[in-house]
Amino acid sequence: MAFNILLVDDSVTVRSVISKALHLAGVDINLLYQAANGLEALEILEAEWIDIVLCDISMPVMDGETLVRKMGENGMINSIPVVIVSSAGSEPRIQRLRDMGVRDYIQKPFTPERIREVVDSVMGVTKHA
Amino acid sequence: MRDQIVESVSATFLQVVEQLTYMFGEPADKGDILDVDGDYILAQMGFTGDVNGTLSIAVPSDCVAEIAANILGLEPEEMEASSMAPDSLGEMLNVICGHVIMAIAGKGADFGLGSPVIGPATPAFLAQAVEDSDWLGFLLEENLVLLGLVTE
Repeated sequence: MAFNILLVDDSVTVRSVISKALHLAGVDINLLYQAANGLEALEILEAEWIDIVLCDISMPVMDGETLVRKMGENGMINSIPVVIVSSAGSEPRIQRLRDMGVRDYIQKPFTPERIREVVDSVMGVTKHA
Repeated sequence: MRDQIVESVSATFLQVVEQLTYMFGEPADKGDILDVDGDYILAQMGFTGDVNGTLSIAVPSDCVAEIAANILGLEPEEMEASSMAPDSLGEMLNVICGHVIMAIAGKGADFGLGSPVIGPATPAFLAQAVEDSDWLGFLLEENLVLLGLVTE
């Protein structure tokens, strides 16, 4: 099954690196959307079908924590799984985000294999020998 | 105590840079090598929470494109690497900052990172950084890079 994936990060470098990592890892992608902050992400989430969100924490305009909270308040998008991709992943913050419904956390720098592992796990993709 | 922090920051910096850019480095005597009239780019980022302060990095401008190209998996001559170089330097600082804070304050520290601010480093700023003990020198594949950590 091919996924519609939304990347949310204010750094165009990170969005490019995650995009390449997803392709290198062989993640089955239908459409790849990009947003530079939480507000842009909300607009895309409310307009498009998104299967999974990969999101940074620290961003201008609207940060990742606020995005996750606003998604949780919106019944149309509150079931879309969110994975945090960040370097500011202290244990208290990760726990706070998990309590808000975030499904997993990827620490930067990451490998394509780690991205694949998390996407497969969150989306329930089973491995075939 | 200060020696332990310096050692921890140095090891963390070198490890993250290697993982992110595939560039190898080592601690260097900043005073012996730095050309303060050289063309350097300065990136700075504030952090707040259980620990507050600023992390800064000064990198020779030629090296910034190389860093960007390595992060993006491109050749330095490719246009995308050049145009994305400041953003890539900011992202490298972002990743270093997160790891450095956890190295000095522990994984249980609660903190937030600001947005990186990128611009040219003036000769006066570089000269001051050479004298300032809050700044460390590293040789990153023949490029002298300065890392400054100031905590409140």
